[in-house]
Amino acid sequence: MAEFNVNLRDVGSVSVIDVKGYLDAHTAPELENIFNKLLVERQFKVVVNFDELKYISSAGLGVFMAYVETMRENKGDIKFSNMKENVYNIFDLLGFPILYEFYKEEKEAVHKFGDQG
Amino acid sequence: MLIFFALSFFSNILILFDSSFDYPKDAFYVVTIVLICLNSTRVSWIAFLTKKQKYYLLIISVILSTLFGINFATFIDNSIMRQIIYTFSPGLHTLMSLVMIYGTINFGIIFFTTLFHLPTAEAFDRKAEEVSSLMDLTNLITQVFDFKELAETITTITTRVCNSDSAWLVLKSDANIELSSVHNIGYVDADKITNNLLGSGENNYDSIEIIQIDSISSNTNEGGQLFKSIAIAPLKVHKKINGYLFAARHRENNFDQDEKKTVQAFADYAAVALENAKLIEESIEKERLEKELDVARDIQKKILPSTVPTSNRLEISALFVPAFEVGGDYYDFFELSDDLLGFVVADVSGKGISSAFIMAEVKGIFESLSKIITNPKELLIKANDTLKRSLDKRNFVTAIYGIINKKNGILNFARAGHTPILLCSGERIESIQPPGIGLGLDYNPGFASSLKEMEIQLKNNDIIICYSDGIPEAKNHKEEDFGYDRLDNIVLNNREKSLDLISNAVMKELSLFSKNHSQHDDITLVLFKWNQNN
Repeated sequence: MAEFNVNLRDVGSVSVIDVKGYLDAHTAPELENIFNKLLVERQFKVVVNFDELKYISSAGLGVFMAYVETMRENKGDIKFSNMKENVYNIFDLLGFPILYEFYKEEKEAVHKFGDQG
Repeated sequence: MLIFFALSFFSNILILFDSSFDYPKDAFYVVTIVLICLNSTRVSWIAFLTKKQKYYLLIISVILSTLFGINFATFIDNSIMRQIIYTFSPGLHTLMSLVMIYGTINFGIIFFTTLFHLPTAEAFDRKAEEVSSLMDLTNLITQVFDFKELAETITTITTRVCNSDSAWLVLKSDANIELSSVHNIGYVDADKITNNLLGSGENNYDSIEIIQIDSISSNTNEGGQLFKSIAIAPLKVHKKINGYLFAARHRENNFDQDEKKTVQAFADYAAVALENAKLIEESIEKERLEKELDVARDIQKKILPSTVPTSNRLEISALFVPAFEVGGDYYDFFELSDDLLGFVVADVSGKGISSAFIMAEVKGIFESLSKIITNPKELLIKANDTLKRSLDKRNFVTAIYGIINKKNGILNFARAGHTPILLCSGERIESIQPPGIGLGLDYNPGFASSLKEMEIQLKNNDIIICYSDGIPEAKNHKEEDFGYDRLDNIVLNNREKSLDLISNAVMKELSLFSKNHSQHDDITLVLFKWNQNN
């Protein structure tokens, strides 16, 4: 079974989610739980760090699509960082870079939230 | 023994002729009596009689042994009877007296044995009952597959086996407790008691427990069920509690240790039997679903074109291999006019049944839009508008819509998040990826502005390859991707061959690559070849 790990930490006022391993239909619910928790806490500024993510399936992409609207409606966002090339290609093919902000470094992404106030 | 009966008979006859033959007569007589005693001790069968039968036996043996005893007494006395028979034949007299002794001793022993067995008769009965009930249940496990029937049998046997007045069975799934079958108690009453005992959730009854309550009184509507003592046994399979078996008594006497064990043993058997029945039920249900899926697969096959359009200058080949029974990939061709051929290759996110439903909707959308709109970009924008309304937030559809002019070989197409088109021209193969986001990802202004249409003038023998991500993302046992380069190379190496052969070559390499690894996504491959000179 492909492994997946998700970890949530706070960097200032921004929540950073570290995803690790394989994000697919089986593991996506774990990530959804984290997002649900963030919604309950009314924490809408999220950076997802893809540093250790090996694979993402369409079900994995669906998780971000499901929550991004709510985040943006509440003056937050979901931003992506540290993405490996093969994972980025999947996002790119679908046109995600037009809809989402991608950053090389987690710091940049977090900082971007700061700029917006 | 019978032989000695005969011997003493003849030895007595001999005395008639010669009184010196006295000693063998006595010897035979004594040996016969010893044998009679031995024979009479073989009464172990008494133990296996039921309590009722033992009582009968007791009475009969008393009467018979008394009768034999009296008869024997008359033989010893110098009564008329004795004299008559003795005069008639001394042998017969001896025989008769032996029979009488036999009867007296035998029935005497039976009487005492039965008497001694009486106190344990009930326990013995119960043991026998338990054994036979357990055997019944074991048979049931293998024979009864109907869950309801099995549950009812279990409660019926429970009352029998542990001498209780009522029994009922509840099943537990997650936190829900459901009454499954009852015996000698109303559903409402059983439900009430169950809720009283389990409802609080304080006690899990992980092992059997006897509850002694002065008055567990449930509703008295039906004369009232008043139990003095209730046994609760968990139905455990793989350490998981699937339900509880209840046995209840009106009477004062508590369930003893033995009965407690029996109920538990019985509950264990029942748990296995019920689990078995459940599994069988599930597998039947699974079979039914599989048949439904077969139907769905047939329907999906009809949604996809059964043949590809043919024309002089344009050769076409198409292939679809779903990862499961049904899939979310879709391709189609639309004859727009004599010269124009529209085509679509689409991939619904996810796979299996959910994506197959959306795929059918996608088919409807493209089928109708292709008749109205002849511009790939506009068509995809319209399709996005329609789909966005019905798609779940986390679903999306990638698609390529193109129109090929069969007269001049001009291909117009737009790509909505789909895997890029491959164009194999001579010895060069290139991936063409005009910008465009997937359908259902964003509403109109964003979607429309992202989308760029492209036009390609095809040259002679150019091959256009459209495919779903099931090909580049196919995995081998090391979880490595098949990738784009492998696909490029296969097409290049086989470019002189017919399109069907190229398609076969791709599938062959793909299955070689991902052997020992199940296909994890649908695979679609649509190829076009432009033959300028025809």
